[in-house]
Amino acid sequence: MTTNKTGKQNWGMVVDVDKCTGCQACVLACQSENNVPINTQERFERGRAISWIRVERYWEGNYPDVKARFIPIMCQHCENAPCEPVCPVYATYHNSEGLNVQVYNRCVGTRYCANGCPFTVRFFNYWEPVWPESFRNHLNPDVTVRSRGIMEKCSFCVQRIRRGVRTAKKENRDLIDGEIQTACSQACPTSALVFGDLNDNNSAVSKMKHDERTYKLLPHLNLDQNVVYLAKVDPEKKIESHSVESGSHD
Amino acid sequence: MKLNRREFLSLAGKSAAGAVIFAACGLPEKELIVQSPVEMPEDLVKGEDQWYATTMGDFPGGDGIIVRIMEGRAKKIEGNPDHPITQGKSNARYDSALQMLYHPDRIREPLSRYSKGGNLNGISWTRAIKEFKDALNTGGNMTLVTNPLRGHPGSIASKFASHYGGVHINFDPIEQGILHKTVENIFDQKSLPHLDIGNAKSIMSFGADWLSTWVSPVQYSRFYGSFRSQSDRGYFIHVDPRMSMTAANADLWLPVKPSYEGDLALGIARIIVEEKLTSEINIEAYKKYLSPGFLNGYQLRDVSHRTGLPEEKIKKAAHIISEKTPAIVFGGGSTEAHTNGSFNLRAVYGLNILLGSVGVTGGVLPNPSSEIDDLPASSSGASMKEWEEELSHWRAGNVDTVIIRGVDLAHGLPNFLGIAEALNNVKNVIVFSTFEDDTTELADLVLPDSTFLESWGTDIPEPAPGYLVLSVQQPVVVSNSRGFADVLLEVSEEAIGSTQENMITSTITTLQKTGTGSVKASNSRLYKKGIQQRGGWWNTNYSGNISGSYRESSKTGEISTFSKTNSLGEGTEFHLIPFVSNSLLNGQLAPTPWAQQNPDPMSTVAWVTWAELNKSEADELNIDEGDILLIKSTSGEIEALAYPHPGVQPGTICIPTGQGNSKKGRYAENRGSNVFAILADKKDSETGALAWAATKVVVQRSGRNKKVAKFEGTVEARPIEPGVPVLVLGSGETADEAITANHHIYQNQFLNNSHADTGISHKDDETKTDH
Repeated sequence: MTTNKTGKQNWGMVVDVDKCTGCQACVLACQSENNVPINTQERFERGRAISWIRVERYWEGNYPDVKARFIPIMCQHCENAPCEPVCPVYATYHNSEGLNVQVYNRCVGTRYCANGCPFTVRFFNYWEPVWPESFRNHLNPDVTVRSRGIMEKCSFCVQRIRRGVRTAKKENRDLIDGEIQTACSQACPTSALVFGDLNDNNSAVSKMKHDERTYKLLPHLNLDQNVVYLAKVDPEKKIESHSVESGSHD
Repeated sequence: MKLNRREFLSLAGKSAAGAVIFAACGLPEKELIVQSPVEMPEDLVKGEDQWYATTMGDFPGGDGIIVRIMEGRAKKIEGNPDHPITQGKSNARYDSALQMLYHPDRIREPLSRYSKGGNLNGISWTRAIKEFKDALNTGGNMTLVTNPLRGHPGSIASKFASHYGGVHINFDPIEQGILHKTVENIFDQKSLPHLDIGNAKSIMSFGADWLSTWVSPVQYSRFYGSFRSQSDRGYFIHVDPRMSMTAANADLWLPVKPSYEGDLALGIARIIVEEKLTSEINIEAYKKYLSPGFLNGYQLRDVSHRTGLPEEKIKKAAHIISEKTPAIVFGGGSTEAHTNGSFNLRAVYGLNILLGSVGVTGGVLPNPSSEIDDLPASSSGASMKEWEEELSHWRAGNVDTVIIRGVDLAHGLPNFLGIAEALNNVKNVIVFSTFEDDTTELADLVLPDSTFLESWGTDIPEPAPGYLVLSVQQPVVVSNSRGFADVLLEVSEEAIGSTQENMITSTITTLQKTGTGSVKASNSRLYKKGIQQRGGWWNTNYSGNISGSYRESSKTGEISTFSKTNSLGEGTEFHLIPFVSNSLLNGQLAPTPWAQQNPDPMSTVAWVTWAELNKSEADELNIDEGDILLIKSTSGEIEALAYPHPGVQPGTICIPTGQGNSKKGRYAENRGSNVFAILADKKDSETGALAWAATKVVVQRSGRNKKVAKFEGTVEARPIEPGVPVLVLGSGETADEAITANHHIYQNQFLNNSHADTGISHKDDETKTDH
């Protein structure tokens, strides 16, 4: 299902895997910004930990020639999202600014959306999140605190987008590229995560989108994600040359 | 109705906090608003957030941060976009540190123990201050123990100790004293130099996990981003027995045998000299103070044998750092944590002289030697030798009062030192702490310490970015807690100073008189507000000097790698390499659930103590993931969950720090094991620093197994097909080319497997292939 991108902005992110060090700054920043529940030891043991953005680590090779690769994974905000058409109550939809939106108070917890997501970026609150009373002081009032039975996922920090757009409107000016940052892109110390408006040809994300290292995850699924990755470079890699065949499925 | 500036300044003068909101360059000017909601007109508070600039006090680096405050509550910590160290960036520890402020298990009131071994009872601050003064006024010897402190906290601590004729001694469980002595020895620098990583063409690091926890990770990570953004991307080599997070990002990882890092560095030096890979001037500068034939013992074949690294990789490293210049070579961490740690580190840093990297852009640059108002700009923990001597005084009853702040001494010192016994022989043990911990268990008086969000302070970042920086910390929330420095000043009845804020204000006045730096204002009150708004003061107009000289020492120390003797009893011998946890550090953040639940970057394990051992070796020993291992040294025994790891050298076992606290709140108490406890009594031969990576252990399976709490799945995370999900390119390769190549590789693998399984002909397979 394609969407009608009528919004002024089309939000997107570029993830430079070559710069990602795996430091988890993005994970904690997101946790703090979006009131993500505390993942207890039991949740990890049951495979139910919630992390709107996670840094995956893949091994290649064996000791002593082993390599580890890091890749941050978050909601890809797919234009052809497989999670959107399956929701029986329209709790998830694609808005005009390219965001895959989750409406918490509409969600009834069927979990069909998570079933459809190939990236495992949707997380269900199987239990009521527990916040010791004093910890509620640091909850972000801009973000709903979810309860049991609700699906949640990365929202590209929509609360920051709204605040930024409102501020620009109040000041009667256009948005400046880089003014609105998601929590993860703001925190990333190497600037591996870059967030911005893909409709703005002068924005950093628009320019980086055309880099020759660009790729998307699982491209054969034709999801048209708004998150684009820049490939890792390994100067030790031996390059095998193959010609591009006609009728290729790439 | 909005406050105008004059009304605000009037209010700010009256408020207890007097904190000033952050206002970075480029953003529209906002009205200054007093933070305290009691003084705040209501219509200005609700729904509006304000950002205050301050500093991550007590965490290494002196990082400048901004804190989001809404209705008097701290909501988020981010990097200060204006601050030279962070420039808006952060790390995982910033956000988890926020939970210290509102932690339900914080100590809320002073606690006193009426007799040794008795219970702690809540008392008033008035009574606590009286007990503190009474302890000092007996006239006996006093020792003040703190974490390594710079800026005003360091100055106040030292002056306090001097005022009472006592001793101020720093403690850092992962000592960095050798690092400081090495840079002084090689570069004649009193504080750590500025490593211009962002402009280097190649980097070779030894042992230091500089992208994760070492020294100033946010600053170094920013530089790393610039390093990789260069047109030729830069080449990064990392030397470490264990694949740390930093090693994982290297283009070439050299898994050296523990304690042979110095040999490797000198082996590389010999290659560079013999093959004349650098200029004659550099070679002469390098050899200037070395005896003739110094490098004779470091022939490639011998070095390869000793380090366990293939000759071609050693040669490759030598060529890369010689050809891709400017190159930086630096080290720390486990490289200095052996009995030959000083030797290792000098050999490593000496390579910069050989490569001509000293004092050049993209190399090792000087940091200011001049001081700001006599404030300490560099600090490191005392050596283990100094600690043994100090503890002997405590044990002998020669010290009447010990004051401890910012360190969990009982957790961080190894068992062989007998800290509990030593403290039991001290009449008055006074501990400043935010949480009850192993050390408060031994205290007579416990004073609740403020977090960095509630108190004043300053820090001089180390390393500075090549120019003078003073980070200023201000309270950003209203709090009833008292800062450690202000309590010392109160106890000493203003003999040193009235309040820390006043002392900081006096320094700011000194800075204003220089007429230099990042803040300009017409009067002193606005100047101070300007510094508070920016989060500090810095002066980029600085030129310093640095030169390098590499001198050999007669004390080279012994190699830590040992031959197997089974002297510790039944089990298999391993070389223990502790490593600093990316989320808990040395235990400072163990109380916070966000830090506990943050997966380790390499293993994705959280909440527990795990032991990494080489995967193949684990298979040979029938050790599975989750097996509870008993790990025993001459100092004691701990348990840890086995985690077979593809990136650990055979014969080594790697355990993270931070857990094994008997208290520290509900999220940390009685969780995991404390690896510091079992470190052996081994010291660097030159400095007496604890050789914390030189411990031999014996490992046995306990027969018990527990599921490891980790974020990754149960199947080892390897690409299912090439390029999924991490696409890897060779130099000059495009994504499209790589994807096409991967497609062919995958197809061939798929077809070959189909042939093996079914015997179907190649032609039939092609028609049935379905993507």
